[in-house]
Amino acid sequence: MSILKLENITRDFYDGRQIRRVLHSTNLAFIPGELVVLSGPSGSGKTTLLSIMGLVLKPSEGKIYLNDKDLTQINDNEAAMLRLKYYGFIFQQHMLIEGLSVIDNILLAYAVQGSKVTAQQRQKAYGLLEKLGLKDTAHMQPLSLSGGMKQRVSIARALIKDPLILLCDEPTASLDAENGITVMKILKKSALEDQRIVLVVSHDSRVFPFSDRLIKIENGKIVSDTKENYQ
Amino acid sequence: MRLWVAIKIAIHDRSSTAGAVLGVVAIIFLVGQQLSVFFGLLNLMSVLPDHSNADVWIMSKNIRNSDSGNLISGAYIDRVIGISEVEWIEPLLIGSALFRRGDGSFEPVRVIGLRRPRIAGGPWSFHSSDEKVLLDLEAVVVDKLDLSKLGHPSLDEIGEIGEKRVRIGAIATGARGFQGTLLFAPLEKVREISKTPPGRYSALLVKLDEKSDKESVIKKIKDILPNCSVFSSQELSSLSRKYYITNTGIGGSFLFSTSIAIMIGVVIITLTMYTSVLSRKKDFALIRAIGGRKRDIFIIVVGEVFFITFIGIFVGFLLLSTLLSYTVNSQIPSYLPLKVAPLLALGAFIVSLIGSLFALKVALATDPASVFH
Ligand SMILES: Nc1ncnc2c1ncn2[C@@H]1O[C@H](COP(=O)(O)OP(=O)(O)OP(=O)(O)O)[C@@H](O)[C@H]1O
Ligand SMILES: [Mg+2]
Repeated sequence: MSILKLENITRDFYDGRQIRRVLHSTNLAFIPGELVVLSGPSGSGKTTLLSIMGLVLKPSEGKIYLNDKDLTQINDNEAAMLRLKYYGFIFQQHMLIEGLSVIDNILLAYAVQGSKVTAQQRQKAYGLLEKLGLKDTAHMQPLSLSGGMKQRVSIARALIKDPLILLCDEPTASLDAENGITVMKILKKSALEDQRIVLVVSHDSRVFPFSDRLIKIENGKIVSDTKENYQ
Repeated sequence: MRLWVAIKIAIHDRSSTAGAVLGVVAIIFLVGQQLSVFFGLLNLMSVLPDHSNADVWIMSKNIRNSDSGNLISGAYIDRVIGISEVEWIEPLLIGSALFRRGDGSFEPVRVIGLRRPRIAGGPWSFHSSDEKVLLDLEAVVVDKLDLSKLGHPSLDEIGEIGEKRVRIGAIATGARGFQGTLLFAPLEKVREISKTPPGRYSALLVKLDEKSDKESVIKKIKDILPNCSVFSSQELSSLSRKYYITNTGIGGSFLFSTSIAIMIGVVIITLTMYTSVLSRKKDFALIRAIGGRKRDIFIIVVGEVFFITFIGIFVGFLLLSTLLSYTVNSQIPSYLPLKVAPLLALGAFIVSLIGSLFALKVALATDPASVFH
């Protein structure tokens, strides 16, 4: 079983006057098949932790392992390659590229390093759109979609490559209740049925019922880490 | 797909793209227009050696251009004709005088005297009639574009140069000089007009045998005539061009206006590309986060620059060729050699890449972590 493991991870930021530790020594391990919610007040370090797990931010100290492979010392290009291969990201904003159609936005996840998009991949993208209730939007511009639809497109972009790890930063924050629940249902299903490591950063209490595990963070420290059982 | 993304983004970002395209168009059009005037003037500067149909020009010692030199002796003709590779040798006599216009006013002209019956070094293309009119002692040939300066004389009209009677025998095209108005006349007539003593000439034109080695024949002539300048036509042509470029300020003014045009283009491209990249930093961060490397960002931005430059070059040349088609047979000297066009396009490419460096730097520096903020 794949495991994403953080060992004594810390992160310091220079805030203009002094160096401040925003993430204190953190040890965590994530396994596929469960939806983990990371929650905490604003500025507590959630996004920082997520960014380190997502290999877009380097820790100040500590080690990060994927399947026992140490990823701490990898360079920029190796990190990009790993993100392409194993990761899916969902953000608070949909982060779709204006000018590209819905289908192109999704396919970019395959082709960002220049590889050719196969007919099979294209077919898969259409299939995913259909599953997410976006059947007729494939050739529309993101601008012409509603907020909920855009977020579902961005989920399609994250899921198209069947990522091992799905990292979501406040995926429901810009959505109304109904859309928020739809999104969480998709994420939950993706974790369970497709056996992914899914981490959802949120301080939206509506997402808690979907969690299998709830991690709370305050001032850069993990204060609780509990298995949930809402079902 | 990266190039596809580049083009899609460029099309979507219409105002920035249009701005940057404008920069490229400005470069192509302004620089192209400057170049065409420049090359047009270059043609005027060396019009006689370029069209003389001779291989070698013999003039007085130490000349600096084809338009001014001392008179040389006709005795040299016999010495040069003795060289076996020489096919023919013909003298040229250039005189300055005043042309009397129909209304009684005067226009200074330079009259090129050609020896009959060969009429070498004379006008080479005609609007009406042809060079054979110069077999008639009275006839002169005028360029079509110079007619207005001469008071619009019509064909066969009788006029006066240096108080000698002449007849407008033919109207030539493309026979304009850099220094004043050129006219062509029989050599004897020019001698009369300029009151040059017999046996003296401005230049001797030599035609060599096709198969001869030109270099060595020129050397032979130089040895025979140590008191003359001996040039191949090309040498004299570039000598004259260099002389006028450096001594009239045309070179400087051309460089100046061209640099300004390039600078305007660079500034426009820099500003528009920079703001457009800045406004899309989020996109670049996203592309990095989902697995794009720096080189993928590079390809997208440079792809966009290529796309913009292609359109700019296309539109620029369209405008330029429209302009040139209007100015080609006008008073404005304009001539753009075909081989200059690809160089101009290449230059525009380089300039727009330079203009995009700043934007590229910003795009490449995008932190993938910023996608979360
Ligand atoms: N690039 C940075 N440079 C300096 N300080 C930073 C940087 N990124 C984050 N911080 C600081 O680190 C702390 C944690 O930030 P982080 O974004 O991880 O918080 P968060 O828990 O995600 O908050 P929110 O719920 O508001 O998104 C904050 O005090 C923030 O100001
Ligand atoms: Mg955050």
